[in-house]
Amino acid sequence: MSGIAKKLNRILKALSTQSAAPPDGETNVAGTALPQFDPVDAVPEKVEMTQVEHPDGRMSQYPPASKWNDWVEWDGRHWPKKVARRYHLVPTVCFNCESACGLLAYVDKTTFEIRKFEGNPVHPGSRGRNCAKGPATHNQIYDPERILYPLKRVGERGEGKWKRVSWDEVLDDIAARMRESRAKRTDGIMYHVGRPGEDGYTNRCIQAWGVDGHNSHTNICSAAARTGYYLWGGFDRPSPDYANAKVTLLISSHLETGHYFNPHAQRIIEGKMNGAKIITLDPRLSNTASMSDVWMPTWPGSEQTVLLSIASFLIQNDRYNKAFVKRWVNWQRTLEAIESGELPVDFHVSRNVTGDFEFEQFDEFLKSTYAEFTFERAAAESQVPVERIKEAAEYIAACEGRLAAHNWRSASIGNEGGWQVTRCLMFLNVLTGSVGTVGGTSGNSWNKFVPKPHSTPPPNDVWSDLLWPPEWPFGHYEMSFLLPHLLEEGRGDIDVYFTRVYNPMWINPDGFLWLKHLRNHDTIKFHVAMTPTWNESAWFADYVLPMGHSGERHDLMSQETHSGQWVAFRQPVRRVALEAAGRTINRTYEANPGEVWEEAEFWIDLSDRMDPDGSLGIRQWFESPYRAGELITVEEHYQWMFENSVPGLPFKAASEGLSPLEYMRKYGVFEIKAENYEPFENEVETDGIEVDGKQLKGFATPSRKLEFFSPTMHDWGWRELDYTIPWTLKSHVHPDNIDIDKGEMLLLPNFRLPTLIHTRSANAKWLYEISHKNPIWINPIDAERMGVVSGDLLRVETEIGFFIDRIWITEGIKPGIIAMSHHLGRWRLQEDSGVNPGMSNLVKLSENEKGEHQLNILESSRKWDTFDPDTSRIWWEDVGVHQNLTHAVHPDPVSGAHCWLQKAVNVRKAKPGENHGDVFVDTNKSMQVFEQWKAKTRSAASHSPDQTRRPYWLKRPLKPSKEAYQF
Amino acid sequence: MNYGFVIDNRKCIGCHACTTACKSENDVPLSVNRTWVKYVEEGQYPDVKRNFQVTRCNHCANPPCVKICPVTAMYQRDDGIVEFDQEVCIGCKACMQACPYDAIYIDPDTQAAAKCHYCAHRIDVGMEPACVVVCPEHAIISGDMDDPESEISRILADNDVTSRKPEQGTAPKLYYINGNENALDPLSTEPLPDTFIWSDVIQPDAGKQTTPTTSNGAVEAKASTRIAGQMVQVAYNAQHEAPWHWPVAAYMVTKAISAGIVMLLALIWGTGIGPFDPLTAIAMGIVAHVFIEITSLFLVFDLEKPELFLTILTRPNWDSWLAKGAYILIGYSVLLAVWIGVEIAGYNEVLVVGSLIRNIFLWSLFALAAATAVYTALLFGQAEGRDLWQSRYMALHLYVQALMAGAATMLIASPFFGWSNEFTVAVSASFALALIFDLGVCWLEFGSNHESKIAAAAAHEITSGRYRNLFWIGSLLIGHLLPLALIVAGLFLTGLAYPVAGLLALAGLYCYEHAFVMAPQRIPNS
Repeated sequence: MSGIAKKLNRILKALSTQSAAPPDGETNVAGTALPQFDPVDAVPEKVEMTQVEHPDGRMSQYPPASKWNDWVEWDGRHWPKKVARRYHLVPTVCFNCESACGLLAYVDKTTFEIRKFEGNPVHPGSRGRNCAKGPATHNQIYDPERILYPLKRVGERGEGKWKRVSWDEVLDDIAARMRESRAKRTDGIMYHVGRPGEDGYTNRCIQAWGVDGHNSHTNICSAAARTGYYLWGGFDRPSPDYANAKVTLLISSHLETGHYFNPHAQRIIEGKMNGAKIITLDPRLSNTASMSDVWMPTWPGSEQTVLLSIASFLIQNDRYNKAFVKRWVNWQRTLEAIESGELPVDFHVSRNVTGDFEFEQFDEFLKSTYAEFTFERAAAESQVPVERIKEAAEYIAACEGRLAAHNWRSASIGNEGGWQVTRCLMFLNVLTGSVGTVGGTSGNSWNKFVPKPHSTPPPNDVWSDLLWPPEWPFGHYEMSFLLPHLLEEGRGDIDVYFTRVYNPMWINPDGFLWLKHLRNHDTIKFHVAMTPTWNESAWFADYVLPMGHSGERHDLMSQETHSGQWVAFRQPVRRVALEAAGRTINRTYEANPGEVWEEAEFWIDLSDRMDPDGSLGIRQWFESPYRAGELITVEEHYQWMFENSVPGLPFKAASEGLSPLEYMRKYGVFEIKAENYEPFENEVETDGIEVDGKQLKGFATPSRKLEFFSPTMHDWGWRELDYTIPWTLKSHVHPDNIDIDKGEMLLLPNFRLPTLIHTRSANAKWLYEISHKNPIWINPIDAERMGVVSGDLLRVETEIGFFIDRIWITEGIKPGIIAMSHHLGRWRLQEDSGVNPGMSNLVKLSENEKGEHQLNILESSRKWDTFDPDTSRIWWEDVGVHQNLTHAVHPDPVSGAHCWLQKAVNVRKAKPGENHGDVFVDTNKSMQVFEQWKAKTRSAASHSPDQTRRPYWLKRPLKPSKEAYQF
Repeated sequence: MNYGFVIDNRKCIGCHACTTACKSENDVPLSVNRTWVKYVEEGQYPDVKRNFQVTRCNHCANPPCVKICPVTAMYQRDDGIVEFDQEVCIGCKACMQACPYDAIYIDPDTQAAAKCHYCAHRIDVGMEPACVVVCPEHAIISGDMDDPESEISRILADNDVTSRKPEQGTAPKLYYINGNENALDPLSTEPLPDTFIWSDVIQPDAGKQTTPTTSNGAVEAKASTRIAGQMVQVAYNAQHEAPWHWPVAAYMVTKAISAGIVMLLALIWGTGIGPFDPLTAIAMGIVAHVFIEITSLFLVFDLEKPELFLTILTRPNWDSWLAKGAYILIGYSVLLAVWIGVEIAGYNEVLVVGSLIRNIFLWSLFALAAATAVYTALLFGQAEGRDLWQSRYMALHLYVQALMAGAATMLIASPFFGWSNEFTVAVSASFALALIFDLGVCWLEFGSNHESKIAAAAAHEITSGRYRNLFWIGSLLIGHLLPLALIVAGLFLTGLAYPVAGLLALAGLYCYEHAFVMAPQRIPNS
């Protein structure tokens, strides 16, 4: 009768009650206790709130910025007892996805603990609003399992034995290793970033170190979409103007996830309320699909056909914007290509008397070439009712230049040849003239603003083959997910490997091969994991360095959330509040919980110690522009940018009597342009293109035009029309390759949830309470075929192994396809260390000498006792299955993207003895699959037209010197 | 001032931002929610839709939670916000039974009832609720519905809206634009699946599968056995524990025993059917008193904050039958104690108890005992969240059950007394009649149509669902038929037939009360 005992206890307690004394000064308890706040005598004033006027006419109210430095509010926890709190509201930027939404941290003015995060009303992207992940930032800060101090490995890699060390020790040790490496070579240091959360700061450091060492996660994310967009217009992401669209066409789930979920979802619905139609292509009923007017559950890989059938409908019926196409598309070059045979089509071209081509010929060419893409063919290939495709086509034809279209991951990252999805999608923007228009789709680079720092190191003369192997000259970008495979092939090694907010073993396909090399001291000689929270890969690192969450760090970010430009300033909010209260803080870790630091400052100190006397030429880039020869401070870095590189900011700040830095500290954001349409039509002095007698800016392609025919693809060996113009490419999961009768299915493994942050949510209790498991979505038809009912276990066999998970039966998934969210199935190897026990499985890893690996769950999530009573209230058990381990790598031969969709070679009900969460992988098969995909490539070594490694005009983060491009 | 909410389902994207913003603003613990987003999937591929419904307190104009709260911890402000005071709340959970919307929970930190309070602490300084501010889509609109110029008034004037269960008479002030019927009505979806779309489903009483009904009639099959076809399934929902458990069922039994003994003694002696016997009066009076004390202990024990139980007397809400009931219980137990004292004094010849005085005592006690037995029907009647408890037969049922329980206890006690034949016959006849009458009331209760489908669903849980064994075997067989058989047998046999019959009847009564208390709480209100 523990109930009775508990209640007796309560009665006894009530008799001897005394409440805990309120704190009477500064505390800093994150990671060790729940925050405490000081009650104050003040009473909240009724002041005029900041009204944010929304486009729908609505106003919402926020504390006015004039009161942010001293804001009194009742504490909701004690209500209706009136307990007042006094806060300093410090703006910062959310760090839980790349949208860079504004947050306001409520920092208690006595304890300097953070009470909550709300939206920043002056942020032009997020406009004061947030998704579920914004408020949950608070969970991350007060997470009981935070890493509070730098940790150094003392046992073997992965043994889980750590020693707390000082930042001083960390800096000296790592800097010495970097200096040693840099003295020998320029490709020995690698910075591998998952979530950058900033624009250019770290890249500049890497450039300053003189190495080719930037690695990213792009090739498991957006590489394919980027390739398609880039080939068209020299920008690699779309920036749709949803709010003003007549048609929003999504190959994505932008109403729940993705870049840039919250800002975009606001504007998509705004457009919808103004009458816009939403069309969504997705084999799964995403929340977005459910909100759409037309849901096209396409079979993956058929998206190009569907899009081209709509394009053909526009073309055949002369319902496309010929004036725009004539003005901005490289149609003459296309006709030239037909003439020269570069574009092998059955179409005859001729020149007029003046030797020029007529646009009508291009029109006829389009009509004849795309005639094969009928609605019926699209319906058959996509297995979507033909009426839906026709309905979508009608909407698009009537969009009047207001087609806002978006693809980021989804079909483009899913399928081999997926980069053609965005080419075909952008084709619709081009045909409807919805490029850069009001309600149309712009390029990201038009709306994203990255200010220049005080000095920029020159490009380096170095090319790392581990990052940019010659097989993928069109890779967008580094072949990051192949790193262990390239190491396995002996293509190099790494002296100092930084992972930063990145969990490569968990998130990438073929994780066991990552495991192999994360443990291998010969290939990855030294691994420094910089992370705000425990992750599976960091467990195998040599150093684990705790870095701040949003509200604990400086970063500058800008995103193309709409047709406008802004920069937002992420701030360590305790530091800002403490400094405002007169405290001197030299390093951000003095203000953060424990000794949690921030990268921006860490890099300065690290670079300084790497080159203390300046002999490597590194230190000069880290010297203050204000104090000659002295080391720059992080504040000076941004101060200089705000004073010199953000147009309009100094003026605006001065109008409020503030310095530019003070302005950004106060507001956290600055809007550079409220509107930004059709910048390619701007007149320029140089480097433009002549159109109708004027020098116009044009597009960032070699021709300055939108490249329908891509000479670059042709020149680099991709000569078939399937590659040079918007066309279809056969996916590796084409129905021809999936025999459902034989038990094969298509596994869609990479969809996201509105509440989770890739692999970084296991420190956010409110998010995990809503979403903690990733059951396999399965259509009742397939469930019936396999004889499984809701909650049964399914065994899914992939090319290289298998996993076992529960099922969720729903009509919201296309028959023949099973789908799983990619976030879940986090694990830890030690009972009480690593990822939170309530959010991870305790697992056992085992392997044999044949290269076969197993992961088995010893214990599902559980309650655990900490200072936070909530950890004893974990009520869920299933925290998902780590499926990515069983995915083979599928590097697309063009974009280099990992084609996420998996052929499930066998799907059946689990047998007795097969348990939830079991994972098995044969890494020999992994390498075989890698070889198969590598064989599809057309290496620059044999196909480059000019003995270079990559078309120079293509974007590359940290472009080295032109010389480095040469073989 | 009259605050309300509009949830615009044309805009809501089901992102759960409101959920976490609320948790943050109000420091809401894990395992409970003030607001959440229910997902309901319906249709057949490829004509499928997932509906999102922000679900929370409706700030009813006629809030049953306020009416039932015994200590006015739950109250309605002048501006229409239904607010709670966590320091006053004693944790009786009656408000959770009164709420037809699953909006109220017990906060595991404070042990007090809590729910959406419209962020009144923000409203009072001119700010909007946290969920309104965070919502990326402005799908949540708050404001003063008395002000014709307010945004919410304009929206309400321009749009058709629906609300959850308006038929409950609560006048909910949270209105949905494009409300989805299958999301609004918790009984129109298939039974709970074994998992949600991305979270665990907690099956209450794991192992005992529920078989609730739907609006279309009984669905006996498990959700998971649905094969391809029209789907109406809950994909995500907040989950709720039943607030009341065995102590409440036990309280009903002990209360019936006490009240029944006293009513029976009053009937037998007050009408002169049997001769007065002071020892029986004192002994059975003490037994009745012990049971009413146990009853009070159960009540206090069931409070989440038992140390505050006196609040119910110091700040009673005279609208609440819980408060009124507490006074009835006190009045009853005080009078009973006085009477016992008087009879003891009379027995010891300290004073003389005349028959007039005794009859005044007996009939006053009868009245208070009957009130003690029956007031629970009025209390349960205030539990607007449990339609089965609103049964028109409940008062009658409680009265009969009390007589039965009283008689049963007397039969159990009979071996210790040398009762007159008339007295024994009166007790056993009352027992048998009460059992037979009770069967009739059960038939009325479960054999006829119910006033609402919610009541019908709860009744179905009792007669055919997870409580069917308690009902058929425990209550009917063990609690009625076997005792009746033993009574008949007792006419020919001597010995323990009567006491055993009494014991069985009490056991059966507990089975019945347990089913009756638990089953309606298993019918989802959200």
